[in-house]
Parts: sequence; structure tokens; C-alpha cells
Amino acid sequence: MTIDPSVREDFLEAIFILARDGRRPLLVREIAAALHRPEGEVLPVLKTLEENKDIIMGGDGGIALTLQGQDLGMRVVKKHETLQCFFSEILGMDGPSASNEACTLEHAVSDETINRLGSYLKYSPSRLQKDTEPVGGTACPLSALTDFDEGDDLVVQRILGQERANRLLDLGVVPGEHVRIKRKLANQTLVVQVKGCDVALSPEVAASICVERAP
Amino acid sequence: MRFALIGNPGVGKSTIFNQLTGLGVEVNRYPGSVVALEQGNVCYKNEKFEITDLPGIYSLDGSSDEEALVRTFIEERDAACLIAVLDATRLERNLYLLLQVAEYRMPMIAVVNKIDEAERSGLTIDTQRLSELLGVEVIPVAAQQGKNIDRIVPAALVSARTPGVLTPYDHHIEAALTSLEKTLSTPRHRNLLALQGVSVDPLLRDSAESIGREIEQRHRMSVHQIIATNRHNFSRHLAAEVVAIGERTAPLDLDSLLTRTIPGIPILCAILVFVLLAVFVIGSWLEGIIVAGFAANVIAPFTALGLPPLPAQIGVSLLVALQAGFGIAFPFVFIFYLALSSLEDTGYLTRAAFLADRAMHRLGLHGEAIIPMVIGFGCTVPAIMSIRILKTRREKTIAAFLITMIPCSARTVVIAGIVAAFVGLLWAFSIYLIIFVLIIVSAIFLSRITPGEQFGMIVEMTPLRRPQPALVLTKAWIRIKEFLFIAMPVLIVTSIALGLLQYSGIIDALQGMVAPLTMSLLGLPPYASTALLFGIFRKELAFETLAVLGGTADLGSVMSAVQLYTFAVISVLFVPCVSTIAVLYRNVGARITVLASVYSVSLGIFIGALINLLMK
Repeated sequence: MTIDPSVREDFLEAIFILARDGRRPLLVREIAAALHRPEGEVLPVLKTLEENKDIIMGGDGGIALTLQGQDLGMRVVKKHETLQCFFSEILGMDGPSASNEACTLEHAVSDETINRLGSYLKYSPSRLQKDTEPVGGTACPLSALTDFDEGDDLVVQRILGQERANRLLDLGVVPGEHVRIKRKLANQTLVVQVKGCDVALSPEVAASICVERAP
Repeated sequence: MRFALIGNPGVGKSTIFNQLTGLGVEVNRYPGSVVALEQGNVCYKNEKFEITDLPGIYSLDGSSDEEALVRTFIEERDAACLIAVLDATRLERNLYLLLQVAEYRMPMIAVVNKIDEAERSGLTIDTQRLSELLGVEVIPVAAQQGKNIDRIVPAALVSARTPGVLTPYDHHIEAALTSLEKTLSTPRHRNLLALQGVSVDPLLRDSAESIGREIEQRHRMSVHQIIATNRHNFSRHLAAEVVAIGERTAPLDLDSLLTRTIPGIPILCAILVFVLLAVFVIGSWLEGIIVAGFAANVIAPFTALGLPPLPAQIGVSLLVALQAGFGIAFPFVFIFYLALSSLEDTGYLTRAAFLADRAMHRLGLHGEAIIPMVIGFGCTVPAIMSIRILKTRREKTIAAFLITMIPCSARTVVIAGIVAAFVGLLWAFSIYLIIFVLIIVSAIFLSRITPGEQFGMIVEMTPLRRPQPALVLTKAWIRIKEFLFIAMPVLIVTSIALGLLQYSGIIDALQGMVAPLTMSLLGLPPYASTALLFGIFRKELAFETLAVLGGTADLGSVMSAVQLYTFAVISVLFVPCVSTIAVLYRNVGARITVLASVYSVSLGIFIGALINLLMK
């Protein structure tokens, strides 16, 4: 029997959530309850999932995820949570409809989109407000320049702190720009190369530059 | 007719300026501005043109003194042509500023300097194509070799054009610019600035602010950040069109030595010690010659004239002031400036700032502050003048306090002349130790109580290069002129005032009044207070006056070792000299000046009393 990819994802998502809550081995009954479907409908699908090597069904009726199944389940859960968060917190939708909408979209959305949406959400409006304060100890929610080592090639994602940001922007440290750590002293003071120029930065300045590793 | 050079720091503007104008440089200031503008003349076809070298900046949209000054200069539109200087080796970054200048719709030309260096590192720049893209004349130049320098003035004269290039901004920004232009009919460049929060026109500022807020919410990025990103992307696009990257020969990378903790920090220390020793040795040698020569050839003949007492007193005071000014300015300050300008020209200072950043951080400052601190060992006046490079009020304040405490070369004379000579060399070093401890303690204290936050270091490491003697000399010369300009009038006025006070007997009365304090608290002879008072005028004068009033140059015979030591410590800490007070006032305002002066006086008296108490 072949099943729709969205059905497979729904099942793995449900099993992942149940397994995450620590109730193992899982029973067919539990899974059916979580999916709001009759057991008779659930069993054939589980069989197919076993054939796909997504789950293992023990002789005693206990069900566990394989590594492959766990991975897929986790990704779907992450997609669901991210989308739901976006719908409720940013678009202001109410809880149930945000969750329903997320249930539909989670099967279609790409990992890339979810990653970007995820980092976008990390700067929620309240957070953004804090960032634009004249900076003392604001830290990067993702990884900062100081988290990397000499010789690393990085891409700037964001700069925290208005005043400082302006000077950095003038020197070419803008979101999307490639930078490379040319020197990093033990005390975290560093020199980055940007647009062919070397720029020396205090650790507190470097900590306000959010970066990710260059692809 | 006037032309102006505009560009990033370190693009070789000064070299071009120097080559165009020679040594006849004038330093001008806009009223209310602390930034100096260098102006010179150039002759072409029997006509004289004025050239202004605008301070090096990275952006026209910022709020630093330099940026504001350049903005004002361009807005006034009294330059017939702006000459934008670009560094061929960093073309993309340099185009960012050019794009901003282009917004002002002023006639301009562009000069791509260091074309030879770019070629050496395998970069070919199609200046023809760049000229088409920018819509202005572009001249490839190798200023160090003097190549094509002669083409600049004719081009500025004949082919200056309003640039055709305009940065395409994000459509929200473009829409905002159009709507501001329509409703308020303000020019585009002013609207751009207003969107980034820089505007003097209240109406424009308010409208721009509300539009800006909307854009910021939509983009979740500051308007400045959007605009800067647009400009950078556009300059990248332009640079990609004109720069061809060929085979690159890896240059000798001195930075692999200079910017590592080892051997970078030992090298830094060695360089600093060497500079200070050189300044001190050569400086005191020259000072001796100048002061003695002046005394023998000017002051002695003047006193021999036998004028009536009052004019004689005023005349002597005036001459002593001149002697003090030239006696310090030339020997110490000028030599120090020579050393400093060469260090600056090599690009080493930015490495020093990088290495010193953490140590400075503990003092409530950051890497860039090492420059004023080092200058302070030579002379406090230029050191205070250079705290302008620090970005926040907090750092300026802390630096102002600390620099007034750093033993400048004049104070070294006091320490050497009094303590090393009559008490002992080790005791002399112990004074340095006391002062350094006090500086560190004060710094920690100040960094706790001074309001404001720390900015941190963001410094472009200028490429290392061999210093050019002509440029170093001009720079040192301009600085010494600035020093004399500030210090001389103050020295003369104070000297005459002190002379008159002495003439009228007020000084003696004062000395009598504070005598109990001098004797009981500090354990010093009464005339020491007068000597200290003279010290605020020129630090070595404390020592010289002491010798005069003590009636002998052999101070050891009239004062005890403890007294001499106490006197030296107090006079080293006691009030920065009047020239320092003058520059402090100019750079950090009256309040901090008074506070720093009062602080150093009280600290001097307190430590002096403490020593007197402990060692008596």
C-alpha cells in the first residue's frame, strides 16, 4: 500500500511527539487517539511505515521510531511549531486556527523557508526593541562573530546596537556581506577582513555582530 | 576658485594634497568646530587655485565631528569641484562614499589612487568604464610616484561634471524620498539624511521620522541599515564591472608578526620605549640649546636695557613666555610629532590600538585611546587635542583626566632635575611608579562613576607602508603650528599676569598666606608654593623657580631629600600646565576642565601630605 507523503508526515509527527513525551513503547491505540482516527484505519498505515523503515513494530505491539523516522518526525514538528508561532505571534491568529493552518502548510514548506522564518522569529518585535537600545550587554541570539575562530569565513546576518552599527555599516559590515576572521587574540579582540580591508574590533563590538558560517 | 579633496582615511588624499600644494599649508577651522581643515594653493597656467583637504571619512551620514564638517562644507557649495579620491586596492569600499557624495549633485571628478599598488597585487581597473558608470571623469593616479598628479587640476577645471550615477534604493526608500520631495520640495540628499535621523529642518525631520518608522517596521531593519546595504550592494556591482582580478603575488605579511600577542606586544613596548627615549634625549638636548640661547641672546640684552621696573617686568614675562613656548614646542613636541607622524604614516598605530584594546578596556577606554595616551608622554597638549578620536563623551572624559596625569616630557625634567639628581635614580623611578598606580586607580574609579557607555573599538587597519618624509614633515609641521596657536597666547597672557602679580607683591602675600599650609602639611619651605604656582605655567619652571628662590642650583643644600621628593611628586601631579587647561577647555568643555584641574591639584596635595607624613 502506498500512502500520501502528508499522511506519513502526520503519523511520524504524532509518533515523535508521543515518543518525546517519554511514553514508550507506544501502542497502536495511543497513536490512533493522538491522530483522532480509528485503530482500524491506523494499522495499515503503520504497516506501510514499517516497510518504509520509518518505524519498528515489536512483537508485543510496541512501536518505536527508526533514526530515519525520528529525523523526519522532528523536522515536521519543528515546521509545525515555527509556523504556528508565526501565525499566532506575528499575524495574531488565535491558537486553534494557527495550529490547523500549520498542520496544512507543514507538508509543503521547505526546510530553507522554515530556517529563515525561525531566525526571523528570534527577533520578535519585543526583542527588536531591546536591540536598538544603545547597547551594553545585548548578545546575539544566534552565533556572534566571537564564537568563531581565526580563518573562518562567515556571512553577516545582523548587527545589534544602533550607534555601533552605523560605523560598522560604513565599513561594509552589512547583512549578507562575507567576512573572514584574520586574527583572533586570546582575549577575543579580533581583526576581520571585509571588502578587502582589515578592521580591528573590540570583543564587545564583535559580540554584537551576528554571523553564520559561509556556505 | 576652490577645489576640495574628499575620501576615506588612508586613500592617499594627503599625499596628493602635498604633491599639488607643496609645503605652504594653512590650517583653518570652521567656527565651533574642533576639526582642522588643511588648505593650500596650487598654480596652474598662471592662475591660483585653492585646494582644501577635507578630513578622511567613511561616510557622509554619520554624526562625528569630521562627517558633520564635511557635510557642511559640501552644503555650502563654495568648492567649484569636489575631487573624490578612491583607493584602487579597496575600490568597492571606497565607492560607498563616492555614491554618497554623488547624492549632493555637485560638480566632481574622481581620482583612483594607488593604481600601481593595485597592479602589483594583480588588480586591473578599467577607469574608462568606471567613468562611464559614474558619469564623471576618472583619473588613474599613483601619487607616491607622482604619476598623473598633473592631470588632476586641469581635469577639475575643465571636466568637472555633476555625476550621472544614483544609487537605486529599496523601493520603500525611493517612495519615501519621492513623497518627501513632493510634499516639502527638499532635495534628495537632505531627505536621505533626514530618513536616517540627521536633519536640522524640524518639519522635514518629523515627516521623515514617521515615514522612517514605518519602513523600519516593515523591514525590521533601521533605515540607515537599509540604505547602507543598498549602497554597498550597488558599489559591489560597480566594482565588479571595472575591477579584473588577476594573478596575485602574496605580499610579505608583516601583520603575522605585528598583530599576534607574541611577538606583537614586545614589539609594541619596544617601539614605545624607543620613541619616548628618543624624544627625551634629543628633546632635552635641543631644549638646553634653545633655552640657553634665548636667555643669552634675547633675555639678557633686554634686561641690560635698564627699562623702568614695570615695563621691564612685562617685557621679561613676555620673553619668558616665548622662551617657554619655543623651549618646549620645538624640542619635545616637534620631535614627538615627527615620531608620531611617522608611526601614523606606516599604519602601525592601528596595530598598536588593536593590541592594546583589552588593557585599555580595563581603564574604561578602548584600543584607539592608546594614541592619546602615548602622545601624553611627549606633551599633554597634543594628547588632549587627539582625544577627539574617541567616540563617546564618557571615554573623552576619562581620557582627559588620565592624560593630564601622565608624566609628559616637561614633568620628566622635574623628576630628573630634582629627584634623580639630588635624591637618587631609584627614587626617581619610584615617582613614575606612584603616578602609574595613581593613574590606574583613578581610571578604575572613573570608569565606575563616569556616566555613558563604552563604544568599543572599530578601527580600519591601514595597510603597512614606508613613511614618506615629506608627508611626515608636513603633518608634524601642521600639528606644531596648531600647538603654538593654542598654547602661545595662553602662555603669554599667564606669564604677564604672573609677572604683574609678582611685581605688585601679591605673589609674596599669597606665599605668606599659604605658608603655614606649605610648611605644616607638606613640610616644604614657604617659597616652594611660589615655585609650584609657576609650575602651572610650564612644568620645568617649578624646578627652575625653586632653584632661583632657594638661591642655589644645588637644591640638596637647601632642602632635605624628603622635601625634594615631596616637591617633585606634588609638582608632577599638581595642575596641568595652562596650555593643557586651554586645550582641555576647547576639547571637553569648562566643567571637565575644572574637575580635572581640581582633581589633579587635590591629588597632588593629598599625596604630597601623605609622603610628608609617612617619611618625615
